[in-house]
Amino acid sequence: METLTIKENISDVLKSILGHNNFEMRDELTAKDVDGWDSLSHMMIITKIEEAFNIKFKLRDLNKLKNMGSLVAVIQSKI
Amino acid sequence: MGLIFNIGLLLYFKYFNFFYDGFVGILNIFGATASYSTLSILLPLGISFFSFQTLGYLIDIYDEEIESSDNLLEFSVFVSYFPKILSGPIERASKMMPQVQEKRNFSYPVFVDGLRQILWGLFAKIVIAENCASIVNPIFNDYGNQSGSVLLLGTFFYAIQLYADFSGYSNMAIGISKLFGIQLMRNFSTPFFSTNISDFWRKWHISLTTWMMDYVFTPLSFSLRNYQKKGLIISIITTFVLVGFWHGANWTFVFYGLLHGVYFIPLVYSGKMNTSEIVAKGKFLPSFAELIKMILLFILIMLTDVFFRVNNVSDAFDYIFLIFSNGLFSFPLEVLSSNYLITIVLLCFFILVEWLHREKLHDFEISRYNFLIRWSLYVFIFLLILFFGKSAETFIYFQF
Repeated sequence: METLTIKENISDVLKSILGHNNFEMRDELTAKDVDGWDSLSHMMIITKIEEAFNIKFKLRDLNKLKNMGSLVAVIQSKI
Repeated sequence: MGLIFNIGLLLYFKYFNFFYDGFVGILNIFGATASYSTLSILLPLGISFFSFQTLGYLIDIYDEEIESSDNLLEFSVFVSYFPKILSGPIERASKMMPQVQEKRNFSYPVFVDGLRQILWGLFAKIVIAENCASIVNPIFNDYGNQSGSVLLLGTFFYAIQLYADFSGYSNMAIGISKLFGIQLMRNFSTPFFSTNISDFWRKWHISLTTWMMDYVFTPLSFSLRNYQKKGLIISIITTFVLVGFWHGANWTFVFYGLLHGVYFIPLVYSGKMNTSEIVAKGKFLPSFAELIKMILLFILIMLTDVFFRVNNVSDAFDYIFLIFSNGLFSFPLEVLSSNYLITIVLLCFFILVEWLHREKLHDFEISRYNFLIRWSLYVFIFLLILFFGKSAETFIYFQF
């Protein structure tokens, strides 16, 4: 899947969970840069992403997510 | 093996008698008469803190967050770094080990900032916490004979005492560490200026909360993620019960954690658990709605703190029941005594300084003030410590 398409899908997930789109989908984007994306909302976002791409993360995958670029890379490796 | 060893040490030294009592109690319920004697175990100072720190180190290595150190001195400094060994903050290996390994250079602004934090920590502990303790102790020690209004005052001053005591220690530990060029993480970020329980725990005992979030809540909520909000609630409550239990082998702490976990449920269902903002950012005063939320949250927390203070759960329920059944609206004449009045005035100054610095890096970050204001504050606080400081009891968190 194209990186752009993956990012669009992730963006849709973030909007549906966080209720806003005040973020820019760049590779350096981290959870700290996005209002409301914290440890509590993180799991809901991850579950929605798993549903959206029909994939399953491992806990170790989660621990290695540093920014949007690494999230996209992990998703690409699982599709 | 390392995890088993560290958890085993913690369980033996801190929780052996608690579980042993519970085991014998279960035997007695089923009719078996068991006679037993608990062990007289000396609790090593700071065991909860260095156990968690070592556990985090091992987990981070397993998760390939950091590489293991083969230098015993570096590892020992990381685990038993003296400013924080008794009460934290619980540091992460990924943040602290590089600071231990790299050469540190003297920085005048960092050094002076450390001294400021030590001064504020001393003021919080010796003046605020100890004056509050002088009010709190007689009330809690004889709560059965107090009116509801006095009992309520006891909970108010205890909540402040707990905060000033522990944040005072943290500020001193962080400040002392700055003198050596090592930056420890912030442990309190004006938590009473929060508008919901989630926000409160992002600002209270931050090093423990984030540790539990990373190593307990995240794995648990990950494994329960298909249950959505229910999985989230189970994970939150389990995490907070463990947070409570971490404080000590007593059902009071378990209840304390359980209640805090339960307080999250409305937030999870309302979808407001993520709201974390500095109250009245960029303004001098909060809005009326923010003020009401802060006051209600503070009342909830101070009532829950009763479980933290008393020796057993039934005492806590008795205390809270008496507040609402015994002259809650009577005027507590005690507040007219000099001890109360002095403490209230000192508290107003303490709260004002904390409020003014809620957007800063720490509670007494005054580097931008001009020379005259800075030195006036130093001298003023020093004089307050000199004239109104009380002989310090031991820190509340030393028992953990």
